[in-house]
Amino acid sequence: MNKIIMDNSMGQNTAVPALAIRDLDFWYGENHALKSISLDFPTRQVTGMIGPSGCGKSTLLRCLNRMYDLYPGQRATGEVVFDGRNILAPGLDVNVLRSRIGMVFQKPTPFPMSIYDNIAFGVRLHERLPRADMDQRVESVLRRVALWPEVKDRLNASAAALSGGQQQRLCIARTIATRPEIILLDEPTSALDPISTARIEELLDELKQEFSIAIVTHNLQQAARCADRVAFFYMGELVEVDTADRMFTAPHAKRTQDYITGRFG
Amino acid sequence: MSVQKTLPEAGRGWQRGGAQAMRRRLVERLVSMLCNIATVIVLFVLFSILWTLVTRGAAGLSLNTFLHSTGAPGSGGGLANAIAGSCEQTGLAALIGTPVGMMTGIYLSEFGQDGRVVQLVRFVSDMLLSVPSILVGLFIYLIVVEPAGHFSGMAGTLSLAVLFIPIVVRTTEDMLRLVPRAMREAAYALGAPGWRVILGVCLRAARGGIMTGILLALARISGETAPLLFTSLGNLNWSTSLGAPMASLPVTIYQYAGSAYDDWVQMAWTGALLITVAVLATNILARWWLTRNGSAQ
Amino acid sequence: MPHESVHTVQSYEQELEQLRSFINRMGGVVERQVAQAITAVVEHDEAAARDAPEMDPYVDELERETEALVIRLLALRAPMGGDLREVVVALKISGDLERIGDCAASIARRAMRNELLSCPISLTGLRSMGRLVQENLRRTIDAMDQRDPELARIVWQSDTAVDELYVSMFRELVTYMMEDPRNIGPCTHLLFIAKNLERIGDHATNISERVYYAVTGNTLPIVRPRGGTFD
Repeated sequence: MNKIIMDNSMGQNTAVPALAIRDLDFWYGENHALKSISLDFPTRQVTGMIGPSGCGKSTLLRCLNRMYDLYPGQRATGEVVFDGRNILAPGLDVNVLRSRIGMVFQKPTPFPMSIYDNIAFGVRLHERLPRADMDQRVESVLRRVALWPEVKDRLNASAAALSGGQQQRLCIARTIATRPEIILLDEPTSALDPISTARIEELLDELKQEFSIAIVTHNLQQAARCADRVAFFYMGELVEVDTADRMFTAPHAKRTQDYITGRFG
Repeated sequence: MSVQKTLPEAGRGWQRGGAQAMRRRLVERLVSMLCNIATVIVLFVLFSILWTLVTRGAAGLSLNTFLHSTGAPGSGGGLANAIAGSCEQTGLAALIGTPVGMMTGIYLSEFGQDGRVVQLVRFVSDMLLSVPSILVGLFIYLIVVEPAGHFSGMAGTLSLAVLFIPIVVRTTEDMLRLVPRAMREAAYALGAPGWRVILGVCLRAARGGIMTGILLALARISGETAPLLFTSLGNLNWSTSLGAPMASLPVTIYQYAGSAYDDWVQMAWTGALLITVAVLATNILARWWLTRNGSAQ
Repeated sequence: MPHESVHTVQSYEQELEQLRSFINRMGGVVERQVAQAITAVVEHDEAAARDAPEMDPYVDELERETEALVIRLLALRAPMGGDLREVVVALKISGDLERIGDCAASIARRAMRNELLSCPISLTGLRSMGRLVQENLRRTIDAMDQRDPELARIVWQSDTAVDELYVSMFRELVTYMMEDPRNIGPCTHLLFIAKNLERIGDHATNISERVYYAVTGNTLPIVRPRGGTFD
């Protein structure tokens, strides 16, 4: 097997990774989509996942919050260790897991409710807060995503009235309102214009001081800008992991080099 | 094999092409004209019906119509009992049919996953959508009226409910399917259990369309005559009891229209006008509601 | 190791080829300049002495074009990995080559001074230095051409020899100057010429370091083996 897994990162924030994947295999029915993946997600860093279409990066992301449970015929084997437990094992409260590992999707999907209710929805699932506390949570989270000045006078207006970039920031606000430890982002800016994209990348830079972040992107420039570490996937295998610096100036594997320089053959 | 690499030469400058282009334009004009004519015909038919109804029916419309029950010919009766009976039976049918229809629709959309059972249920529901309403009436007659030994408002209500439910099932399922998968997943990703996702997010997103479905189903059953003939039969007196035969506008119209008495025929026209106005109003309300809320958002 | 795979976007591949061709051409011209300059000094060849500086404008032009192409590639193609290294290094190599050209031109101009033409001082040292420098330059250009990091490393190590030769030349010339004041004139010129040759050697080594980095992604040790010190 010519897997090359290299980990040349230096100076991580803490020794224990936020999430540790060990020998993860994933199947869509008969299709073996992920092959024996082992990868660490360091705490309070941004880990980028890149690779061509169909390489399994989104699939991997969706394993991390057990999203595949929704679809029969999809299954995973192996270990994903979070807070001392293997989250792939049965008997785990998936809803609590998802409040601790949040996910933001490619297309901004505000719920058909007011802006306030969008954020309160997630919180109400897990906590019972009096009105004043909920107000505070909503405000703090909206401030965090730099949306507060734009919406503070229309919290009860429908969320669908916001622009695409604002909606995506709302979705991020909604996700962090449940106080997760890890945030998963699946191509969060591919539907947005450059300015909205830049705002969200700036937001990620701030958020990583508090949360551990995993971002899937097909935009190499974005991975270069945002990620501290980058993992390159190809056809269901993890080919290489390294700091963003090394990955984009001097990658080790030829497949990585070919992909990032645009030599797709 | 030579492939023509160059495009055929376009028309010079601003001239608009040759004989082919002219023919195209002619065909286009012809088709537009035909569409316009067809629309005019349809509108003409619709308006002439409405016109007839309004001119004929308005003549018999008075406060009396709403205050007095149906009476013997020449006695100056109204349509009060028929109106009340229609309202009661359609209202109750909607009350029964909405939760049943919606929950079936939810089942088909959310839990089915295209299994055998789901396909069967959907098939049956679709058949019921287009079953002749008289058959529904006969069916309810067999299982409710015969064992009871008498006609009843309840039987009428049930037959209307049977016609009401498939429409709601179909609309609910369709509208729920329109809810984007990403929105569903976003709700799950926050840690919401299945029923919360459906109730809190999916139904809210689809509420516009579902409401429209309910209103349209309501509009449909308010005009049904055949099933009521075999179930609630009609009642010349005022009665709001479900255990007894109950009057209804469609049945009354049926009875009056074919009679020899002028004032009864007039009442029939008035009744027809009332039903039409009610159905029109419901349809308009449904469309207005839909545009106001948008579909699946 | 040449690339086996090719860019999906052909025009990108063509632009990289264009960049390589600029550098190659510069290398070729500069090699000739150095050869002519050394011939001019050692053989007292007037034609060669005129030839070397005349090629200068051409080299300058190539350097300008290389720089413009590099900036364009960085802005429009956002190169990564090996491509990025290659593009950035091309910029620096073109600068080094241009300076080699300047040094060669400077040697050539000095070569025809009267003091030198009638000077009795032996030119053997200069001849061997010239030969060594030319060989290093040729090897460096080959390493560049073939993307051979081992060849680059060899050149990097052999700069020591050039430095040693320069030091011994320096001592020799100083001795001559102390012997006879009439030697001071010609010896000073020879000293400048030797210095220029040593500079050419340094630039060639620079180029080989950059080639090594571009191909392997690693840098050679910072402290170059430096030969010869002055007591």
